[in-house]
Amino acid sequence: MILKLAWRNIFRNKRRSIITVSSIVFAVVFAVTMRSLQHGAYDNMLKNIVGNYLGYVQVHFKGFWNEKTIDNSFYIEDLDSLKNDPTVTFINPRIEGFALASHKKESKPVVILGLDAKMENQNTPIKESLINGEFLSDNSDGILIGKGLQKIMNVQMGDSLVFLSQGYQGSIASGIYPINGIVDLKTPDLNRRTVIMNLNRAQDFFGINHMATSAIIGPKIDEWEKTEKSIKEQLDSSQFEVMNWQQMLPELKQLIDVDRAGGTFVLIILYSILTFSLFGTVLMLAEERNFEFGVLVAIGMRKSMIIRVAILETLIMALVGVILGLLLVIPIVTYFHFYPINLSGQMQEVVEQFGFEAIIPTSLDPSISLTQTFIVFMITILVNLYTIIKIKNIQPSKAMRA
Amino acid sequence: MISIQNIQKTYQSGDIKVQALQNINLTINKGEFTAIVGPSGSGKTTLLNIIGGLDSPTEGSIRINTTEITQLPENELIDFRLHHIGFVFQSYNLIPVLTAKENVEFLMLLQKQGDQFRNERTLKLLKAVGLEDQVNKKPNEMSGGQQQRVAVARALASKPSFVLADEPTANLDSKSSENLLDIMQQLNKVENTTFIFSTHDQRVIDKANRIITIEDGKVISDTHHSKD
Ligand SMILES: Nc1ncnc2c1ncn2[C@@H]1O[C@H](COP(=O)(O)OP(=O)(O)OP(=O)(O)O)[C@@H](O)[C@H]1O
Ligand SMILES: [Mg+2]
Repeated sequence: MILKLAWRNIFRNKRRSIITVSSIVFAVVFAVTMRSLQHGAYDNMLKNIVGNYLGYVQVHFKGFWNEKTIDNSFYIEDLDSLKNDPTVTFINPRIEGFALASHKKESKPVVILGLDAKMENQNTPIKESLINGEFLSDNSDGILIGKGLQKIMNVQMGDSLVFLSQGYQGSIASGIYPINGIVDLKTPDLNRRTVIMNLNRAQDFFGINHMATSAIIGPKIDEWEKTEKSIKEQLDSSQFEVMNWQQMLPELKQLIDVDRAGGTFVLIILYSILTFSLFGTVLMLAEERNFEFGVLVAIGMRKSMIIRVAILETLIMALVGVILGLLLVIPIVTYFHFYPINLSGQMQEVVEQFGFEAIIPTSLDPSISLTQTFIVFMITILVNLYTIIKIKNIQPSKAMRA
Repeated sequence: MISIQNIQKTYQSGDIKVQALQNINLTINKGEFTAIVGPSGSGKTTLLNIIGGLDSPTEGSIRINTTEITQLPENELIDFRLHHIGFVFQSYNLIPVLTAKENVEFLMLLQKQGDQFRNERTLKLLKAVGLEDQVNKKPNEMSGGQQQRVAVARALASKPSFVLADEPTANLDSKSSENLLDIMQQLNKVENTTFIFSTHDQRVIDKANRIITIEDGKVISDTHHSKD
């Protein structure tokens, strides 16, 4: 009977119910879309820069991050002990060193990235960045270059680049390597200056056999903080530095924080509007029905039961609103996940200046929808406190005199 | 039996005190069909509200059968009303989203009566008030007189000890008023339910078998008409 009363009351004032439901629908659609875009943008940046290239946690020889010279290299076997750490899924040693690349008359400073092809294939998606040619095979001399660099140097597949650099402890490093493939590292900055070669070739080039400048530590999914802490405890801090992506890319972390705060601010405004809109409904409902509630109490209906009817009404509307909202927003968010928004014009330039890919895919993380749904329900319940207090204080003789 | 002893009611609005009822003593016996009359502002509504436990007196006691209702906590008082008192108000007192049948059934549902009992009693009462062909209409699809007849049926549905009606005919034309009173009188006889109603309407007053007149919050006359 309570349900019947609540249900019919909703249909009694159709227009107001529609306004209530649609304000909830709007809030859900707007909040979820916005949050999904934001999180999607972060995810994309993290995936491109951190996931594909940088890794969430890196170990270097102490001082390497500030002074990236080949002299700050360490013996790979010194990290072997970490293989027994249960928070670590993989250890990929890498060499990162500067060199001057030349082809015909063109010369450019580049970063030589030495990778263990087999291990990278197993553990990181860097292989997916290949857009032309072949990825590193175990013993090839071939190199991969960023698509930006290819343009700048005006080279083709099969051409060779000559590298010149300072090797270990002041030696001269030089070599000539054929271009086997072109990669797109998804950030214009990286694309302009990256050359990828086999780890052992890079070791030969720089004269550091069995050594590396850095190692990417694979954390268990989403738990890089744990991994970072665990390996920090194990490694000799006078020899190694352990850094996470936020330390290596403070700009990115800051950008995300600022953006997230901005989004939160917009959502607070949105939810304030929703709260007032719902509160208006509840207020009118309580005032309008004061007489009716008075009659109900007079003829023998307990206040607790009347409260249940009133709450059920708002909950049904909230539920319908949230469900409709989700039905509407899930396809939208899903669509833009698979067909991301491409920024164009000025926006594109600004974003790319920061070194980021100018597309925004949406995040499909269900926790976004859940959180927003939860907030809408909390607001509904909060707003209902007024009705509860109002009904609790009803005096039938007074309510019916009005 | 309703025993009203020494009832005083003072309203305080700001600094002004209004003595709405002064020293009311009355006994109303089972089966009476009693009218409370008096000019506007004399205290009729106040008295009926206090008898029905909708308002509390400043002083005095209301005893219904063996229960002193002025002492009951809120929920028990609400339950007491549900089981012992039927109400008919001046206007708009049906639940607007429920049909005539559902309105009459409503109190029996709150009383947790069984399906069959509810159905039979609802139809019987709607027939008694002459609305057997209107059972599925909502209040806003019925005339004022029809609504009041549903209200009377609802008031009786819970098998109360007595029915309180505050100016039940105030919004009705004279024909509907007479019709409503005839129905109330009939039910008063058939179900032996006590009726106490307030009114201005002389024709309604004539139907009562006891007339209590109040003025300025005091009972000034109390006459019994022994009817044929
Ligand atoms: N809530 C209140 N606050 C202050 N004074 C009140 C209140 N309710 C009633 N009164 C006063 O008490 C007196 C009795 O009012 P009551 O409503 O009982 O009269 P009544 O006989 O029912 O009048 P009517 O025939 O117009 O309905 C009036 O003087 C009224 O102004
Ligand atoms: Mg009155």
